[in-house]
Amino acid sequence: MRHLKPLNQKAERVTRAVTQDKMDEVRAMQTIVAGCASTLDPGWEVDPFGGVAALCQPMEADLYGCSDPCWWPAQVPDTINSYKDWNGDADNAAKDWRSLGTVFPSDSET
Amino acid sequence: MRKRIVTFGARFGLAGLLALAGGLAASARDMIVTMAKPDQLYVIDAKARTVDKACKLDFNIIPGVIAMSPDNAIAYVLGNRWEDVFGIDLSTCETVFSAHQSDEEVRRKSIASLAVSKDGKHLYTVRNPVKLLVDRYQVMEPEFAVYDTSSGLNAEPVKTSPAPRRMTVMATGEDGTVYAAGHEIYAIDPDTGEFRIKIANRSWDRPTYSGPDVLAFWPIGTQANEFLLLYSAAKFTDATKSEMADFVWGYESVDLATGKSEIEDFASFEVIMFSAVRDPNDKSKLYGVYTQLSKYDVAKKELIKRVDLPHTYYCVNISSDGKEIYVGGTNDDIGVYDAETLERIGEIRLPSGGDMAAGTMHVVRMGS
Repeated sequence: MRHLKPLNQKAERVTRAVTQDKMDEVRAMQTIVAGCASTLDPGWEVDPFGGVAALCQPMEADLYGCSDPCWWPAQVPDTINSYKDWNGDADNAAKDWRSLGTVFPSDSET
Repeated sequence: MRKRIVTFGARFGLAGLLALAGGLAASARDMIVTMAKPDQLYVIDAKARTVDKACKLDFNIIPGVIAMSPDNAIAYVLGNRWEDVFGIDLSTCETVFSAHQSDEEVRRKSIASLAVSKDGKHLYTVRNPVKLLVDRYQVMEPEFAVYDTSSGLNAEPVKTSPAPRRMTVMATGEDGTVYAAGHEIYAIDPDTGEFRIKIANRSWDRPTYSGPDVLAFWPIGTQANEFLLLYSAAKFTDATKSEMADFVWGYESVDLATGKSEIEDFASFEVIMFSAVRDPNDKSKLYGVYTQLSKYDVAKKELIKRVDLPHTYYCVNISSDGKEIYVGGTNDDIGVYDAETLERIGEIRLPSGGDMAAGTMHVVRMGS
């Protein structure tokens, strides 16, 4: 671990858990039942083997398969209910991903 | 019937009969039925690798879950972001059935729960209603809904009954039973609305196992006439579950002809698989897909062969003769693989160039 540097807050908390001997309380995301807003799955951070090699390849092959069924509600706009046309002009994720933008709530929603 | 065959035989002779049989076999073709963005429903000649029919749909195709009528004449598509069902006549591309499940007050979404009875007369969904109040959403009880397929457009359910939560894919047995995947694999009596556990999944009695993880999104077992799902689970050395012995793949299946069910481990968890089918002519052969295509002998519990794919595919299916494997879903291409060698022997590019995403890819027999 001493050669690894945490890149985000979650990783820092894992490092802290190691120093406090609380690793038993750290639960890897891949072991939970995930999907749609019921669990607010933040996406596949690691694959079932603890790495990233077994995630969908390339990422664009997974984009609509996961975002259309609301599997990734935290990373991409909710095309099921709130931002239905987010990918309306990008039918092919591998070719059209540059058309995918950021969304913001409208005045009436804030 | 026997008399008629004898008469034909006498008139045409054996050679004539064989020629007739050959002609019939040649006219019946395996067709791939799938959808792609932005609005296309495709019927593809699997062997010729050509698009036979492209129906432009007038609704949003997400999530693109498809259930076929028993005669394969109508494709029922769950669309409009999980809410509505449309029946598309594949010979004319005409919408012959529709059910709009939501209304102004209540939004009802079906999470891939769609099936058609084996006599084609009824369509089933599990609907998850939420009342849209001014200041909050009120989650209501899920319901099993029965539609009459002859109702035409704007159909309303002829019957609804309470259903368990978190239901996904469904299938129908030849005796009329509806099977649905949720925490358990349920058998539903559509006449009474009664749910009973067909295969214990969450409540399985396996003291040395973790709970199973099941991804149930593709209703594709029609070739082998079974409702088949994969599960993965940790297997421990003993019931204390302190030391893991293996992480395993298994399958749970209901034979839709007989109602017989089975649940069995078949391999160690070496690669991810999103969906799987079995060879309709040899149920010991199972094909699973993700970023690799894997072929297993589930009777011997061994991997026969595995090949890397050009990209991840979600959905796998198989030809009627078991000789070709089709991988699709996800992007805009369907890969064709030799079932024996797992060599890539063909490719079908969808004309719209849009992604199939999580859409279903059926292989059905069409023609007489």
